Amino acid sequence: MAGADVRKERLDRGIKVRTSGIYAISGGKEIGYLILPRLVLIAGLLLLPLVVTNPYWQRVISIVGIYALLALSFDFLTHYVGLVSLGGAFFVGVGGYLAALLNTKLGLSPLFSIPLATVGGGLFCTLAILPCLPLRGVYFSIVTLMYPLLAMRVIEALNIFGGTEGIMGVASFPNRWVEQYSLIVVLLLALFGLRRLVNTDLGLVFRAVKDNDQAVKASGINITHYKTLAVFISASLACLGGAYLVHIYMWAGISTLALDFSIIPIAATVIGGGGTLVGPVLGALILVPISELLRAFGTLRIVFYALILMAFIVFRSEGIMVYAQRKYHQFEKWVQV
Amino acid sequence: MFEARGLMVFYENMLALNNVSLQVEAKRIIGIFGANSAGKSTLMYTLSGIILDMKRKEEMAGGERITVLGQVLLEGQDIMGFKPSRRARQGLVLCPERRRIFPESTVLENLLIGGYLATARQKKETLDYVFQIFPALVPLKNREGGFLSGGEQQMLAIGRALMAQPRILMLDEPLMGLSPLVQAMLVRSIREIRNQRGITILVSEQYARPLIPIIDYGYILENGTAVLEGNRQDLLDNPDVRSAYFGV
Repeated sequence: MAGADVRKERLDRGIKVRTSGIYAISGGKEIGYLILPRLVLIAGLLLLPLVVTNPYWQRVISIVGIYALLALSFDFLTHYVGLVSLGGAFFVGVGGYLAALLNTKLGLSPLFSIPLATVGGGLFCTLAILPCLPLRGVYFSIVTLMYPLLAMRVIEALNIFGGTEGIMGVASFPNRWVEQYSLIVVLLLALFGLRRLVNTDLGLVFRAVKDNDQAVKASGINITHYKTLAVFISASLACLGGAYLVHIYMWAGISTLALDFSIIPIAATVIGGGGTLVGPVLGALILVPISELLRAFGTLRIVFYALILMAFIVFRSEGIMVYAQRKYHQFEKWVQV
Repeated sequence: MFEARGLMVFYENMLALNNVSLQVEAKRIIGIFGANSAGKSTLMYTLSGIILDMKRKEEMAGGERITVLGQVLLEGQDIMGFKPSRRARQGLVLCPERRRIFPESTVLENLLIGGYLATARQKKETLDYVFQIFPALVPLKNREGGFLSGGEQQMLAIGRALMAQPRILMLDEPLMGLSPLVQAMLVRSIREIRNQRGITILVSEQYARPLIPIIDYGYILENGTAVLEGNRQDLLDNPDVRSAYFGV
């Protein structure tokens, strides 16, 4: 009776199995199989500034890069350390203000102000988040959501850093090639660097903290230490994005602490596929241009934007990248049981 | 009255249940024995329909594909397509592995949740019955479920399942992690429930010895296949079974 039933079987492609071991370097086909997707991403990103000629969309490329960095930072912290931070805007704001101050007050060029803002901002954010690190789950999320709101009102009320007007006259990049290519190269370095990191021993501890922090403690590992390190890495990446943002717009203001910088990276991660690291970059690459295209609809923009997001979460909550990886590595066939 | 025909369950390409068929007559106690990963819990999930939920969840998240084939017949009607809630309303109630009690509700609340669909009279009557067969729960009535010991939690889980007015009660590893004394007490209670309430009981365990005195019929699962079935004596007479599942 059961003989008439069929089911769909999912199998790894032969070449996937071959390339997972030493045979990966056995021939052109195998090497090609491994390199192709990476090459498509790298070449695609590098070609983007050359292909796009419209100055408006050239600016969008930089914004995509910034959001990709933010999404990367969110994905790392959420899916590899288990800390769901809703305060991405705080990191952006700290990085942005720091870069703007270094540039306008100390006269440092973007070449120095951006790296300094990255590391300094990362340290500052880590210190600020430190008291909340024992919190877990939704409590951590709620507390981190408060940080950008708090910072925004502090700047407004105390009228520091230019108050509501912001810091103007921040130096720009020499030309758009430097702006876009440095951002894309930094983004690729961050992406492949993080992919390496999560597979090292350190990455193992991070993932273990996410799965079961009590077991990690029982293994004699101080989890606060590792959480701090992870927050520093994630915050630095987002501060880097913030520093770029400020130098691109030549202005740092309280809108760098806006909720958009917390929410859109999360949306990009959901659409791209959480936990893949590449996914969020792709998600940003899709979402940010869509959000620009939807500007034509005026205030309805947010409605369409929200509908796209909801459709993705309801129908494909796995995300584009998880789906694509499965299709690339596996094939399906009907088999008799 | 209750029957499973040719159940096959795949977790992706792994065969968890291979052509398992069960025949359950009314008011019997049926034992399902097998080692870890033999498919006991999968069988329980398939009979109770929880597997359909798991399948849907995995589909949504893009995880492994669960394939379920075969039939589950309740009094001649194929209920394979029914949701777990509908099966429970028809009297097919699962008391899940690891108890899964509601830790932040009190004992009484836990029981009342189980009896949500029962009528007020049934509820009151069953509540009295639960406290009668598990007197240890009476002084704990207002204690939060999470603060109970393992044995008390198991009594609570069985009580909660009883509140749903089962005709067929499925107990997935009810003796897990309990002391021999508590195990013996629970086994006596299981038999009493059958005798006094006329409920058909399916009970799964790894180690068959504590249950063997009360079962009417038993199945041995190995790697998803029902390798042996028979009444108490048949199982006891098989030398392989004796060494593997009774420890003699």
